Amino acid sequence: MFFKSDKKNQDQVRGFSHLGENFRFDGEIDCKGEIEIAGKIKGNVKAKKLRILETGIVKGIVQAEDVEVLGHMVGNIDSKNIYIGNKGVIRGNLHFENNLTVLEGADISGHVQKNKKDKVKRSDTDKVKYLEHNKIAS
Amino acid sequence: MPSVILRDTNLHGNITEKDSITIDGIVVGEIKAEEVIILENGNITGDITADNNIEAGGQVTGDLYSERIHLNNSAKIRGKLSHRNLVVDEGAQLEIVSSTRKKITNNNKE
Repeated sequence: MFFKSDKKNQDQVRGFSHLGENFRFDGEIDCKGEIEIAGKIKGNVKAKKLRILETGIVKGIVQAEDVEVLGHMVGNIDSKNIYIGNKGVIRGNLHFENNLTVLEGADISGHVQKNKKDKVKRSDTDKVKYLEHNKIAS
Repeated sequence: MPSVILRDTNLHGNITEKDSITIDGIVVGEIKAEEVIILENGNITGDITADNNIEAGGQVTGDLYSERIHLNNSAKIRGKLSHRNLVVDEGAQLEIVSSTRKKITNNNKE
């Protein structure tokens, strides 16, 4: 199979993990690369790139860099880029940093918000500086 | 379509699959499938029940139940085996109790 060819190259994984249509899983997934889900998953998913296929159902919290939802997703998504296909169904909040793409026909109910982590940090440091300044002044 | 879990993926929890499943990553939990293939980098902690076939080339800590069990030369297995057919390749590292049965059940789990 395709993953046997890269045995010498131990740190790099070519291709992606695939969880088939009849795959049922209850628990936590932690993937450092790419993963494709066509089955039913109950639990939190962490991945670099996550693709939920049309037959896929994920119930839980998703944290990733790229998320593509073509199937069902129940729970919050926190990702840099989110793509929702025309048959995608979302029940939960979407938090993204860079891009959100929603195709015509997608079914979403939940909050959609663009996060900017830098901004939060900056306001924190400003607050600290202000407090420090107050200390010195007093 | 059969499932493939590569070595950059960790699963904690129970897996049920009606098809074949190939594992090259880390799984902690019970696995039930028609066929389970564990590759060299595969590391499984938990019991494996396969209807047809288990092919182990990685590390397994837990019990194996299957019609046919094949332990490859890179296999490291610790646990109980129940099978009708057992094949062990040269080089497999084992710490097992093995029993050949006419019918495979999960009885010795309880």
